[in-house]
Amino acid sequence: MLTYLIRRLLAVAVMLVVIVLAVFCIFFLIPKWTGTDPATMYVGKQADKEALEGVREKLQLDEPILLQLFEFFKGIFVGRDYVGGGTVTHCPAPCFGYSFRNEQAIWPVLTDRLPVTLYLALGAALLWLVIGLAVGVVSALKRGSIWDRLGMTGALAGVSLPVYFTGLILLTVFAYQLGLVSNSFTPFGENVGKWFSGMILPWISLAFLFGAMYARITRATMLEVMGEDYIRTARAKGLKEQTVIGKHAMRSTMTPILTLLGIDIGALMGGAILTETTFSIPGLGQAVLKAINERDLPLILGVTLITATAVVIANLIVDLLYGVIDPRVRLG
Amino acid sequence: MTAPLHEESTAKSAVAEPAPSGAEKKIEGRSLGRIAWDRLKRDKVALIGGAVVLLLVLVAIFAPAITALTGQMPNQRHEDLIDPLFSTPKGALGGISGEHLLGVEPVSGRDIFARILYGARVSILVGFLSAIVAVIIGTILGTLAGYFGGWLDALISRVMDMLLAFPQLLFIISLISVMPNSLLGLTGTGVRLLVMILVIGFFGWPYIGRIVRGQVLSLREREYIEAARSLGAGRRYILSKELLPNLVAPITVYMTLMIPTNILTEAALSFLGVGVKPPTASWGAMLSDAVQYYESDPMYMIIPGVAIFITVLAFNLFGDGVRDALDPKGTR
Amino acid sequence: MSPLRASRRRLAAVSTVAVATLFATSACGGGGESDSKGAGLNAGVKKVANASDKKGGTLKFVGVQDAQSWDTSRMYYGFEFSFARFYSRQLVSYTPAPGQKSVELKPDLAKDMAKISDDGKTYEYTLKDGLKWEDGKPITSQDVKYGIERQWAQKTISGGPVYVRDAIDPKKKYKGPYEEPEGIDAIETPDDKTIIFHLPKRNGDFEQMLAMATNSPVRKDKDKKSKYGLKPFSSGPYKFQSYTPNKSLTLVRNKHWSRKTDPLRKGLPDKVQVTLLTNADERDKRLINGDADLDLNQRGMDSQGRTTALKQHKDNVDNPETGFISYVVFPQNVKPFENIHCRKAVIYGTDHKSVQTARGGPMAGGKLATNMLPPSIPGYDEKDDQYGIAKNGGKADVAKAKEELKKCGKPNGFKTRLAVRNTDKADVKSSEAVQASLKKIGIDVEIDQFDGSQGTSIVGNPDVVKKKQYGLILYGWGPDFPSGQGYGRALWHSDAILDNGNNNMGMIDDEKIDKGLDEAVAELDPKKAADKYAQVNHDVMEGAYYLPLTYMKVVQWRSSRLTNVYAADAYSGWYDFVNIGVK
Repeated sequence: MLTYLIRRLLAVAVMLVVIVLAVFCIFFLIPKWTGTDPATMYVGKQADKEALEGVREKLQLDEPILLQLFEFFKGIFVGRDYVGGGTVTHCPAPCFGYSFRNEQAIWPVLTDRLPVTLYLALGAALLWLVIGLAVGVVSALKRGSIWDRLGMTGALAGVSLPVYFTGLILLTVFAYQLGLVSNSFTPFGENVGKWFSGMILPWISLAFLFGAMYARITRATMLEVMGEDYIRTARAKGLKEQTVIGKHAMRSTMTPILTLLGIDIGALMGGAILTETTFSIPGLGQAVLKAINERDLPLILGVTLITATAVVIANLIVDLLYGVIDPRVRLG
Repeated sequence: MTAPLHEESTAKSAVAEPAPSGAEKKIEGRSLGRIAWDRLKRDKVALIGGAVVLLLVLVAIFAPAITALTGQMPNQRHEDLIDPLFSTPKGALGGISGEHLLGVEPVSGRDIFARILYGARVSILVGFLSAIVAVIIGTILGTLAGYFGGWLDALISRVMDMLLAFPQLLFIISLISVMPNSLLGLTGTGVRLLVMILVIGFFGWPYIGRIVRGQVLSLREREYIEAARSLGAGRRYILSKELLPNLVAPITVYMTLMIPTNILTEAALSFLGVGVKPPTASWGAMLSDAVQYYESDPMYMIIPGVAIFITVLAFNLFGDGVRDALDPKGTR
Repeated sequence: MSPLRASRRRLAAVSTVAVATLFATSACGGGGESDSKGAGLNAGVKKVANASDKKGGTLKFVGVQDAQSWDTSRMYYGFEFSFARFYSRQLVSYTPAPGQKSVELKPDLAKDMAKISDDGKTYEYTLKDGLKWEDGKPITSQDVKYGIERQWAQKTISGGPVYVRDAIDPKKKYKGPYEEPEGIDAIETPDDKTIIFHLPKRNGDFEQMLAMATNSPVRKDKDKKSKYGLKPFSSGPYKFQSYTPNKSLTLVRNKHWSRKTDPLRKGLPDKVQVTLLTNADERDKRLINGDADLDLNQRGMDSQGRTTALKQHKDNVDNPETGFISYVVFPQNVKPFENIHCRKAVIYGTDHKSVQTARGGPMAGGKLATNMLPPSIPGYDEKDDQYGIAKNGGKADVAKAKEELKKCGKPNGFKTRLAVRNTDKADVKSSEAVQASLKKIGIDVEIDQFDGSQGTSIVGNPDVVKKKQYGLILYGWGPDFPSGQGYGRALWHSDAILDNGNNNMGMIDDEKIDKGLDEAVAELDPKKAADKYAQVNHDVMEGAYYLPLTYMKVVQWRSSRLTNVYAADAYSGWYDFVNIGVK
């Protein structure tokens, strides 16, 4: 168990380094290859020589990438010093650097935005799990019935609709025409009721998409599991149908669902870009979209790292959960 | 997030073991393709989906001819149809008329029907080509990993794991945003199309790679491969003559299910402003433009949204049908 | 003019975040309609809407773009300059009055306007008594000097305009206060109250330059360098209470500021709040619902908000002219635009009406432009319409265009490329309109969008322009300070042609224009100077160096509870923030 954990964590570390390296490459190497001076991308409208020089110094563009990478990770674990314009600024750990655009420290931005996205992802996940599992199980058990058809038609529609289009339609109908819910985001700390009202539509939009996928997967897995020998055995033993389904079939069905859930929640931490944009939710997705447009590398790195970490951690938790759900799986 | 490739896991279970059945069926003297076709023929819904897909492809190919017929070019302006004060089309339903079947765009008065037709070209082009890119990379690397095993397998598998955990949308947006305006002799929209195809394809290959690897892994140890090997068949022979034919089924299923996902990704990128460049028409870009007018000209938002929906739905229906047809267990 | 003045930052649009701001969906809930009525359509244009001296309340701004920095040395957008006056003062500043009157300068920190030496090269100011920083310490002439010197330190705090630097130290010998803390000799502070500027050459706009927020005092012990913008130290009526970039900003009263020493700022509300959103539609909804009072960025409402506002709340709308112009320039280093007739063909062949519609129509897009000097600049003359643009009602003059094409030796037209920045949606739409109208006279235009944030190194670089064969560049422009110099010198003077960050993109090298500009700059009498700029503008149009498109206008929201609101030419036709109060 311990060696397993260590091995996993080591793999995680390697992966995070690679991801950061990839981001570095995108923003420093690709412009170089295609003939753009990266400094001009960050200097904004002011192409003055001194300003360019200042940018080079600040971004350490003349240093090799690996050194920059090392500095970056050093900052996260022990903090780092920024030298520039005759001053030294110490940035304590965990230091993700300062925004190229407004000099704001990145770490507080991340911690400020993370909960917003987390609530969005978790709330939606809860909703889509319930809906997806329910629809999927009912469809599988009543295969071929009207419920199965209805459920699967809905699910197919769900996976075929772009989430922002669903969002826009929901907004127009429920927020503007009917005025049932709030159409804008209110911070949790400000007014919980308003926050909830503002989050309903984003949750539903996301849950519609993911719930549809989960329903399809649940149904497929369930059908397969029901055909397995051990289910037949259980039935033959005279167990109640409820027990057969609830205890045996569901367990096996949950395994792939859990895997997906891990990946999805993790991915949503950085991938709710479309939903956050559609509903103007000030989460990580929106921050990173803005950062990409402004080429604010430290912020992009920060969000990317958080997202990747979230995916990895979610996967780890899922792996550990397997052992609980499916006794056949032993970690090692 | 755009719909990630979750469909895969459904498919995974479905196509996990196609080879033996293929072999069984051979005894009956019918090829796998033949059986699949017979099954597909019975699946009305899938056939409708397939027909719509075919129609869409034709529409995309012959868009110039069709617009010539209606007499409306996608970039032709009709400012006389626009209310100058509010920038929206005069007349009800976004200016729908006999001349402009789906109305005209706000501000410029361009014909929406013509733009939808041309938009189909972008969607289908990116959807297909990026899927092909993914299939090529995925098949090659998946086969290598599965067949040779050892460190090569370990390396390729780790890379696939890592790519699956990458915050993809974030990376795609970043990559596109740093691409120069001209590349390899292409400019503007051409570059964007190329980059989109390559990048979407690149992030799609691990899904194919995993399946192919698994297939090859299980096939490798089968008797008939052993037999071929003991008869002195070369690696190349075994790979191309014995393994590849058995991979066709799962790859076909994956590709059909990957195309709608890729279409959604293209629309999302255009929606976020990093897709094709104006004046090139794209459904996602139209939606993103339409957001400004969702109250004053809702038709402009609904039309491209529905276009995306129908396209993706048709591909999904057809893809489901193909999967069921190729699924020998016939659990569905 | 400065080589640094790379481009009109202020114009460069709300959409540095092209994506995030462009689409907008969500809006705001709750908040009923404001019960009282607005002061009337255009009540704040050329007059004061709801004049009042009532103090108290909270003034609520809403915006979709944060300042690039609230550090006075680093800002360049018009809204930043206007907003900076809440917490900063200058030696001289603008008259608190609507319209053109605002352009006149009045002493602010200084007791009087400058004592200018006979040769026009030395400016001396004496500070008022009782001026205080937000911690109660006196504001000294050294603080003023230090604040001005910071613009030399471009390496650490880049971003702001550097007119004063270029007027005082054109060769950039001084390295800025961080590297040379002893300061620059050309600015003297013999005592705490006196400050003297020595210019190498006379410049009629020097005081105009000093009035920019860039030249506000900064106290050395409070200067956090690149981080100063997160909490600037106040010399004005309000001070920073809290600021989270891209989210919110709150200003509260600076109790050490006194109205007695500051006749230019009313300082009516108790609190000033800024909420930053990412979504223009939501911003407009909040304004209309009454959750916010006015738009921080002052770029006008979006299509949908505009429609609602004009249809249902006309009385809350102002539609002022701004100092901005949208135009197309013909780089003469790209063929065939070295030929005046080819340029004229494009001018005649462009359908201005179509461009106006593309920009949002007569209210949001602006007036048809007949020449290059916009309405808020002294010297503006609407009647200078050499190409009959207004006379034709904005329609293209196809006959004349074809005639000019013949003269230029291309009777069947030609192919060329148009560059437009992708960050400005109205610009992109205008470029499509230009493309469509030129097609009718046989000129085939290929549109090439460039990243707006890299303008200086693309369209601002003549070599790149030539290499990319940009025969047409669609751009926008506004004055940094309201004079012909602040507006036109960089566009028209041959000295302003630069290798990078060039704004004379037409590569105008015309002796008559240079001479006219030099004389106008040296002219100390504003009236005479205005006439001279008008003549230069006329010559520029005669040379067909530019194709003016529209003088931009904005549809501006003014909530019913606002008092003392007026659009001021001193801020490019936008509101004078610091004098606005709430009912």
